[in-house]
Amino acid sequence: MKKDAAYIFSPEQLTYKFSEEHPFNQKRLLLTHDLLHKVSALDSNQIFPARKATDEELKLVHDKDYVEAVKKASEGYNPSSYKTTYGIGTDDTPSFLKMHDAAAWLVGGTLAAVDLVFEHGYKHALNLGGGLHHGFRGKASGFCVYNDSSIAIEYMRRKYKAKVLYVDTDAHHGDGVQWAFYNDPNVCTLSLHESGRFLFPGTGHVNERGHGEGSGYSFNVPLEAFTEDDSFLESYEKSFREVVEYFRPDVIITQNGADAHYYDPLTHLCGTMKTYHYIPKLAHELAHQYCEGRWIAVGGGGYDIWRVVPRAWAAIWLEMTGKTSVTKNPIPESWLQRWSKEAPVDLPIHWYDEENFYPEIPRKQEITKKNERTVLKSLKPIYDTENENKMQL
Amino acid sequence: MRLNEIMIKDVITSTPGTTIKTALTIMEEKRIRHLPIVNELDEIIGIVSDRDLRDASPSRFEKDCNQHLEKPIKNVMITDVLTAFPNDFVEEASNIMTENQISCLPIEDDGKLIGIITETDLLHTLVKLTGADLPSSRLEVEVDNKSGMLASVAQIIKEHHLNIHSALVYPSFKDDKKVLVFRIQAMNIRPVTEAIKKQGYKVVWPTNLEMKV
Repeated sequence: MKKDAAYIFSPEQLTYKFSEEHPFNQKRLLLTHDLLHKVSALDSNQIFPARKATDEELKLVHDKDYVEAVKKASEGYNPSSYKTTYGIGTDDTPSFLKMHDAAAWLVGGTLAAVDLVFEHGYKHALNLGGGLHHGFRGKASGFCVYNDSSIAIEYMRRKYKAKVLYVDTDAHHGDGVQWAFYNDPNVCTLSLHESGRFLFPGTGHVNERGHGEGSGYSFNVPLEAFTEDDSFLESYEKSFREVVEYFRPDVIITQNGADAHYYDPLTHLCGTMKTYHYIPKLAHELAHQYCEGRWIAVGGGGYDIWRVVPRAWAAIWLEMTGKTSVTKNPIPESWLQRWSKEAPVDLPIHWYDEENFYPEIPRKQEITKKNERTVLKSLKPIYDTENENKMQL
Repeated sequence: MRLNEIMIKDVITSTPGTTIKTALTIMEEKRIRHLPIVNELDEIIGIVSDRDLRDASPSRFEKDCNQHLEKPIKNVMITDVLTAFPNDFVEEASNIMTENQISCLPIEDDGKLIGIITETDLLHTLVKLTGADLPSSRLEVEVDNKSGMLASVAQIIKEHHLNIHSALVYPSFKDDKKVLVFRIQAMNIRPVTEAIKKQGYKVVWPTNLEMKV
């Protein structure tokens, strides 16, 4: 068996659960896992367990007192001061029993993915339990307790001295990861998201470009509300290609939040499955072109767990393993049968959405134009450097 | 919010005897556009802007007339300087600046220069006042133009245990309406949005949720 791709999964990752009603629902992992199984795209020898990140690993990024507070909250101790100081116990991020352990397992999954790529010869690794990009050094935010991507990046920096490019296509700005490496010239972050004028967390303006030595290594493409596939993908392709050529990383880590889809209840972007098939395709291509294939992919947001997330996340694995031809067939009957009773909505029967399944968006041209300008503004430092270099020649 | 909370305290200044050339260099290096001039007691006696100095510089087509650049800035500085006080409100200062079409205000305490604010600082303050610099979601509600509306909507937010980062109330273009804009410290504001709608208010943003079948 060629060591192309590794799939990380452990049942402990399902225990990251705030409450029955909370929109962040890890049943997504089961639905995706089962879908891949039903299309015979996931062999048991490709699946690797996650592990529980150690306290030392968590503290690569997080403050000691924050980790201690999360542990205490996991045991039911949750004074109201935790809300303001640590962001724990809020409506977004309520505490639950064994929260620390569950969050540490998600982090460990991403660390396992890193080790499989750097030590065990795998080209790509996928941890759909990761991607909790809102976690700050000392504060939980937006459903995220520990920031697995930040920790994994710092881990790669220290252990493998790798130059890391982080690309985030979640509909929300990847603020936690951006701020964690805002001063670091060896970590470049690129986030495409719905503009903060409309959506949480509000940050992610083009002018957030990094600070000090890290100046010029943070890129943001805030997209207009109601952005559709074509404009999203054009922005993604252009910014990703330019940034990777400019930064020339040793490894790419992609955050694959699947909440920019029209069906997603928390955001106002209007992507379809077309976007979710192309996102990993380009990442795959560029990982081979620039990083000898080294590509780590994590999950993230995604709140239509029935119609969007399973198909979107399965598409990443199909791309990693070169099995995208599967998507020419309908979604397997056996998967639909297993889940349709439980699902509150009609499950999709194809890998791509039907044409025109949502009403026409007014102002489409204006949105597209504005996004084009935003991309140019975001990439301006790269163009400026190129021009300077040309002048010197 | 008062000026002493947002003003720049580390003010770059010059003295009346400084040459125009030196002043230009300082402004270029420090990337500033206004240079307050103080006497030996730190009292403000004048101010120059980059435009004043450029007016006094020779045209780029007359390279040989550089002698003007050696003149002291007291010859070109503006002496009737508008200033503000540290306890003035931010909105008052903004008003003075727009009324007089100036883009900076030195701040004095007992005649001595203690700070300065510029347009840029005011824009930063606007971002802060609208709460857009902290993780939060935008909620915009249109209400009747009568008393108690802000409190009623805020009550619903309170019942959802959500923290408000900032709240703005401004007149709608319709006379009988007002617009409330909140930045709320939460990623999931669907439940509170639904509750506000249920009570009969018009939610302007987040919009089109109902478009999603």
